[in-house]
Amino acid sequence: MRGQHSLLRSRALPLAVWALGLLLVWEGGSWLLLHAAKVPLAQSKLPYVHEVAATLWRYSGTLLKEGGATFGNAGVGFLLGAAAGAALAILMSLSRTIERLAFPYAVASQMIPILGLAPIIYGIVRDEQISRIIISGYITFFPVSLNMLRGLRSVDPPAVELMHSYAAKPWAVYWKLRLPASLPGLFSGLKIAAPLAVTGAILVELMGAQHGIGVIMLRNLYYGPSHTYMFWSTVIVGALLGMASYWLMSLIERLVSPWQPEFRPKGGAR
Amino acid sequence: MSLLTAGIPEIQLENVEMRYRAEAADVLALHQVTLDIAKGEFVSLLGPSGCGKTTLLRLMADLLAPTGGNVTVAGKSAKEARLARKYGIVFQSPVLYDWRKVKHNITLPLELMGVKKSVREEKALELLELVGLQGFADKYPWQLSGGMQQRVAIARALSMEPEILLMDEPFSALDEFTRERLNEELLAVWAKVRSTIVFVTHSIPESIFLSDRVFVLSPHPGRLSAVVDIPLPRPRTAEMRNSPQFFELIARIRGSFEGV
Repeated sequence: MRGQHSLLRSRALPLAVWALGLLLVWEGGSWLLLHAAKVPLAQSKLPYVHEVAATLWRYSGTLLKEGGATFGNAGVGFLLGAAAGAALAILMSLSRTIERLAFPYAVASQMIPILGLAPIIYGIVRDEQISRIIISGYITFFPVSLNMLRGLRSVDPPAVELMHSYAAKPWAVYWKLRLPASLPGLFSGLKIAAPLAVTGAILVELMGAQHGIGVIMLRNLYYGPSHTYMFWSTVIVGALLGMASYWLMSLIERLVSPWQPEFRPKGGAR
Repeated sequence: MSLLTAGIPEIQLENVEMRYRAEAADVLALHQVTLDIAKGEFVSLLGPSGCGKTTLLRLMADLLAPTGGNVTVAGKSAKEARLARKYGIVFQSPVLYDWRKVKHNITLPLELMGVKKSVREEKALELLELVGLQGFADKYPWQLSGGMQQRVAIARALSMEPEILLMDEPFSALDEFTRERLNEELLAVWAKVRSTIVFVTHSIPESIFLSDRVFVLSPHPGRLSAVVDIPLPRPRTAEMRNSPQFFELIARIRGSFEGV
């Protein structure tokens, strides 16, 4: 117990020192740009942290509501994209033919810039929510599919032979061996895709939507220097949404596959 | 031994040949192997690497199909025997599934057979006691040492009460002390379950200590070069390893290798 406490301290202390140091440097830099160097639009370049924090606090209701809209749509798209990605991974692992047919298209789909694709999708469906869902799903699909396929293929040959020796049915080999073995791959795909799905949803909002964090981000950018703190607030909220999505995936991974090597207690478990 | 007293052999190989297709030329891994293994017998397949001993075991397990000859297991073809779950197999590595607790690794074959959960749990505890791992039911494989993991693998192979146990160098990754102890424990387990055991090894003392008969294989091409009876009495004890008879057998087997 004592060891854990000192571990907590030893990790928390450097972190706090770093955060404080960064804050001081930032505030100092901001002051220098504004008052010493007298750079034009100084606050747009490096705003005071305390001003941004105050704005975040003042408009927290709006930011939370718009952020929630973005996060909700990104989440739905993410789930759909992940499901499709996982399904394709299973199909590709079942048949080399399917892999050869589908894989080049999956790769090619990633070559299309989202910046170009978003307005096309928006032009077709004419609905901001559905566009956000489609783009988020589209971004999620590939990393999930690729990483899960690798997970499905990562199974040791003897592990499969063992199943073979028990005369296991193919579905049992999947259910009891390949799918559990693919979970680490699946989750690394999900962890890559989750923040990207949020970014994708924000990108769609920039194309002209009514709701979402991207909308107020764009609006405050247009309003110019007077809204610079609000603009920075939206950027921070966007970043937080991405981080939250990553943390959420990490948390679920820990709950679903706690047996992975990186979750094992260090030393002396044996 | 007359055919009448021996009955039908549990495992029978007739002129078995195994050719692998390689880029330059075909590789002959096994050449004309013929052997019989009686029911309840403990035999070893002994030889240096490349002699085809593991290939031979995999043919019995129907994890490979021979390119020539016949493999009969428990009166059926190797494939039918596998589908009828006639054998349990233990590999060189334990091949435990990381996401399963020890007891659930052991009951995996029973799960696949559709055995009820309460029966499975009971069987797991019984088998853990048999291999001397009481109290480890709820651990995960990585919490066990290599020797303990291999014991779990043996318990798993025994869970469906197979007539035959196929073991492919199960202790070769372990240190000498652990290996000798597990040899003794394996014989104790065998005395209780009385299945037919085919044990692949490259250790001459290990093969002598365990077996009723040792099949000596030689490489290039893999072939059966000698069959050595081990007349040591049972139950075997650790002291027998130091007996003159034991050393004589070692010398005899060493002499029986051809072209190594």
